[in-house]
Amino acid sequence: MSLSESEIERYQRQLLVDGWDQEKLKRARVLIVGTGGLGGVSATYLAAAGVGHLRLCDRDTVERSNLNRQILFAADDIGRPKAALAAKKISRHNPEIQVEAIADALTESTARDLASGCDLIIDGLDNHSDRLILNKTACARHLPFVYGAVDEWMGQVSFFHPPQTACLACLLPRDISNRGPIPVYGAMPGVIGSLQATLALRYLLTGENPMTNTLLIFRSDTMNFESVSFEKRPECVVCGTS
Amino acid sequence: MTIFLKAGGQLRAKLNPDVDYYTRKVEIDGGKTIAEILDAISLNPAFVALIHVDGKLKDLSYTPSDGQTIILQPPVSGG
Repeated sequence: MSLSESEIERYQRQLLVDGWDQEKLKRARVLIVGTGGLGGVSATYLAAAGVGHLRLCDRDTVERSNLNRQILFAADDIGRPKAALAAKKISRHNPEIQVEAIADALTESTARDLASGCDLIIDGLDNHSDRLILNKTACARHLPFVYGAVDEWMGQVSFFHPPQTACLACLLPRDISNRGPIPVYGAMPGVIGSLQATLALRYLLTGENPMTNTLLIFRSDTMNFESVSFEKRPECVVCGTS
Repeated sequence: MTIFLKAGGQLRAKLNPDVDYYTRKVEIDGGKTIAEILDAISLNPAFVALIHVDGKLKDLSYTPSDGQTIILQPPVSGG
């Protein structure tokens, strides 16, 4: 799969990056579930980088209260479906790639279909129970899963790819979703979504996972990044061996 | 012995910090687990999603030693 003259011009600055393989990115297919605060940012950066095929899934429509953090959407998008809007805006930014919009609700059954043919899954969700569904699908299909979550002044990111690593259920096995609206301001999912895109690009380009069994926590109240190491749990109901 | 419990987010106020904005000092008999320490200060462990000490994940059965700082993390689940 070779690059057109237009692609070479578009990507010329990143082609200078040591180890960059644009053709490899062009062949890649990524599923992003959720196109809001996290998913909108990671989708934008993966599209800009030239990931060849993005599958965006979101069943929601745009609400006014989304606009403080969901940067793909504008005031005149209120009431319209997020997945289709996100795909349109991302395609405008980079018409050289293919962007697919799917408005399905996430279930174990739809997740299997959504992940079909993809090389990697990115979590752009807003609740932990759906993340556990996506984690299960990623494990069953042996796909890498780039996890991210935010709350108030805190955000966290990790990269799961069993059996080489633990999975999300090893780290957080029970549903920890808060009841009621989660406090969040736009720059926090901006940071975490950018880190997710960075992890995804690193993996797609090199096949390496730069953070095995590590949770990276960003605290914007103290401006600290903290790494927490954890173990794969043999008794994990999703990826365990016992 | 003395240990320090540290929490951010929506868990911070429930911890009643007294050392600084995030930290509570707890005097406790040695050999207690984190579950027993949380019980002693009437902090419901259901509010705690993750526990880590010196960059390593721990669980409620972990027994801290004198002077350690235990980080209690609230649920982080938004997007």
